[in-house]
Amino acid sequence: MNSVPSPELRPRLWDALVVLAVALLAIGSAVWFYGGLGGHEDAAVVITHQGTEIARFPLSPISSTREVVIDGTYHLTVTSDGEQVWVSASDCPTQDCVRTGAISRPGQSIVCLPEQVIVKLVGTGDGPDLVIG
Amino acid sequence: MKIKYIPLLLALLLMLTGCGQRVPEQTSQIFAMDTVMDFYAVGDGAEDVLVEAAQEINRLEALLSRTRQGSEVYILNETGSAALSQETAQLLRDALTYAEITGGAFDITVAPLVDAWDIHGDDPRVPDDAEIAGLLTLVGSGHLHLTDGSAALDAGCAIDLGGIAKGYASDVVARLYRERGIQGGWISLGGNVYAHGTKPDGSLWNVAIRDPNDPAATAAMVQLSNEFAVTSGGYQRYFTAADGTVYQHILDPKTGRPAESDLLSVTIVAKNGTLADAYSTALYVMGEAEAVSFQSAHRAEFDMVLITADSRILYTPGLAGRISCQEGGRYELCALS
Repeated sequence: MNSVPSPELRPRLWDALVVLAVALLAIGSAVWFYGGLGGHEDAAVVITHQGTEIARFPLSPISSTREVVIDGTYHLTVTSDGEQVWVSASDCPTQDCVRTGAISRPGQSIVCLPEQVIVKLVGTGDGPDLVIG
Repeated sequence: MKIKYIPLLLALLLMLTGCGQRVPEQTSQIFAMDTVMDFYAVGDGAEDVLVEAAQEINRLEALLSRTRQGSEVYILNETGSAALSQETAQLLRDALTYAEITGGAFDITVAPLVDAWDIHGDDPRVPDDAEIAGLLTLVGSGHLHLTDGSAALDAGCAIDLGGIAKGYASDVVARLYRERGIQGGWISLGGNVYAHGTKPDGSLWNVAIRDPNDPAATAAMVQLSNEFAVTSGGYQRYFTAADGTVYQHILDPKTGRPAESDLLSVTIVAKNGTLADAYSTALYVMGEAEAVSFQSAHRAEFDMVLITADSRILYTPGLAGRISCQEGGRYELCALS
């Protein structure tokens, strides 16, 4: 039995490149699949009114100023300048939504309890999982 | 190696990615107990457990709300006595225990004062000294009488479970998560949070504490797993009187007025959501010195984060290595011994 491999079975540079390409593909696919890269996305503003989503738009510096008006028992105006979003006007009695000020990072939210409006920034970013207080 | 083996390798690669099956995850949001509540669960049965969680919250609100007609607490306040379920009776006993332990800094019989100030309502106002003095005679645990299966209040007295009901609700939902085998997730009932298990990557949940000076920003971050965290602070709700004076919503049961605390917020971290809810209010009322002393005497029960009016963030040893704040920011992070 001859233990010396024949010349055509010896590894070549081409073989190493193929192995490297496959390894890189495997690592890239795993990272994407488990959310490492695929999970990143720009922050988006999501506005819900009494449990129903009424607006969703990206929060990005290239976005223009935008206003969303909510009419119910009370009337709110939500304003975004592309970098942050805030409740610019409300006739609700508590004014907690207006006092919260502007939010700019995923995970932050503004709540108007009387009108059941939630303005939330979603997206992975590097923000906290929860905010209390 | 021949070119013909490349498809085989790619097929193997495809099989590898197929080995990882995404774990089910579910989120939901409801308005209840005068706040917005968010739920997140990861694991088999996540969807079902969030449906159950909402049902449990609604069931508890029907028992414990003081504004919902027909609730046990509503009947007790309106008629002066009520038959109680075992669950409500136990929660009232717990409330009385916390009132005793905190020396009255937490007190559910503060309801007549809450009504007079109406800081949570549509028509907040500043009661005069005589009115406050009169209402203070109605406050105190001695006005609530519990017997087997029923409760009674002295004339003119009332209870408000706003400082403990959400904490109890978080205990109930947390138990659901555990019993249903949910792998990870969290619940957020207004300012009451429970972090269950870990994130899918095995790391702890990052819970940010809001900056009392800038509600859109955060002051500190704590990492939690299988723990409750509750924050109380005067900045959360308040009203500004005609003369410009700001009145925050946490009342001191001893003075009948908004607590004049040297703390901006108190965050309690504990294994018991009801306790965390009650103590967060009580320690805010106590102020820094008494709160630190109280925690020192009960350190086995909870950890805490105090944000002081002079821009310090104080934390207890149990949170060492799990708390951070922005370097060079507004606050100085200080460890308590």
